[in-house]
Amino acid sequence: MFTSIFKEHRGFGKQIFLLAKNELIKTYKGAVIGPLWAAVKPAFTVFVYWFAFSVGIKALKQVNVHLNGLEHAAFSFDFFTFMFVGIIPWFFIQDSIVQGAKTLRTNRQFITKVKFPVSTILTYTGLSRLFVHLFLCVILYGYIIFYRVSNGNPPFDWYDLQFFFYCPLLFFFFLALSWSTAPMSAFSKDFESLIVSVMSGVFWLSGIMYDSYSFTGPLKWAMLLNPINFFANGYRNTFLYHRGFWVYKTELIIFAAELIGVTLLGIFNYNRLRKKLPDVL
Amino acid sequence: MAEPIITFQNVSKTYILYKNDQARFKALFFKPRNPKTNKALNNVSFSIDRGESVGIVGDNGAGKSTLLKMITGVAFPDEGEITVNGKVAALLELTAGFSLEMTGRENIYLKGYILGLEDEYIKEIEENIISFAELGDYIDQPVRTYSSGMKMRLGFAINVNIEPDVLVVDEALAVGDASFKRKCKDKIKDIIAAGTTVLYVSHNADSVKEICPRAIYLRKGSVIYDGDTADTLKVYHDYKEAQKKKK
Repeated sequence: MFTSIFKEHRGFGKQIFLLAKNELIKTYKGAVIGPLWAAVKPAFTVFVYWFAFSVGIKALKQVNVHLNGLEHAAFSFDFFTFMFVGIIPWFFIQDSIVQGAKTLRTNRQFITKVKFPVSTILTYTGLSRLFVHLFLCVILYGYIIFYRVSNGNPPFDWYDLQFFFYCPLLFFFFLALSWSTAPMSAFSKDFESLIVSVMSGVFWLSGIMYDSYSFTGPLKWAMLLNPINFFANGYRNTFLYHRGFWVYKTELIIFAAELIGVTLLGIFNYNRLRKKLPDVL
Repeated sequence: MAEPIITFQNVSKTYILYKNDQARFKALFFKPRNPKTNKALNNVSFSIDRGESVGIVGDNGAGKSTLLKMITGVAFPDEGEITVNGKVAALLELTAGFSLEMTGRENIYLKGYILGLEDEYIKEIEENIISFAELGDYIDQPVRTYSSGMKMRLGFAINVNIEPDVLVVDEALAVGDASFKRKCKDKIKDIIAAGTTVLYVSHNADSVKEICPRAIYLRKGSVIYDGDTADTLKVYHDYKEAQKKKK
């Protein structure tokens, strides 16, 4: 029972890549600048937030970060750089959760008409979002190099390699989450709407525009429980803080527990609902 | 004794009819209490041997489609067990199940992988499929650019050329113009002659008689009669006559 998702993927790898590629074509086909839209929308969003907070409200120009354990002196960043690094994983997370919930409904021809390894639908649509994410990460890295050089620092850093730790985890965590949310959304449109509504608020509850390490007391723990913070901070560990992912152990352990929980729950929900999907779609 | 290729053991399938969307939402978390249900299949058991051709007859809503969907692996039973030993090709909804952005050729591979075929084998049958579907240069165009007739031809060509162990055919199948229709009928006959197990769904008594020596009569989800086609059709007709008289 626990292996059904794994079994559905076996020998299907090449097809998953092909389907992911076609998912991208479907999204960007027919537009003059095509795939560049993948960058335009996030760029505009980043600009709007920067404008609202730094120029409009004039409240946020500098962000000071005091890392736990005092292994570093306080960092100080301009708001734009701080937000930019945190918001890149957020774009992926938002798309994964919102699109991931709808995916089965939009790909119903593979569920109700033909025999198909249904869980791979989640994988290939997720993969197509990952391609977009990697594209944005290249832009981000270009900016980071520019930022470092313009501040008189060397352009590259060993900690940059942690990207290859955080990024696959990011992909897998939200894939496993969709094993639960996608079949449930297919079942009930209310559940889908619930997720879409909640997601627009979650952004402000997560440490993307602000530093989630800056809290004490119960709020500190609330921040640690939010897996989105793990990734926003993770990308900042990688590109801004020069800090290893293993340094803040509490954060890492809480995330690991959540990852296991989400994975088990996903397998449970997927298996529970898989056979009913053709009847409800 | 020939080995059975399809066995149904006490298979039941119930569709739950949710009162409204709230009830459906609730059902995600709790088991619904006394829901309204529709029993599509009720304790169905039979077995079909390799090489046998079996007709399935019955009125609309008798459970024929549900039964076929289970054999093709799209739907699943609530109770009971189904075993199908071999590749199943279904000539049911031929235009469905394509990835529209992929080319016809890529869709051949996609379908092949779903059926568990190897690269080499697909390469072997690829040309047969393309020539059978009469798609010409369109084979390397995205399927979304196909006309519905082209999609159907491709769907048909893939299904009949994978050398299936079981072929599921719906008689109400539309595959385009007359000449291609004839070609399809001939191909189906070839497949039957080659000893492939065929499941044939039809309202037309004559065509069932022509193709299948055995037939199963379904009524309201239950197997009413399973045996010689002539006998089954007689039971079916008698029942229909009786219904008519009642009216």
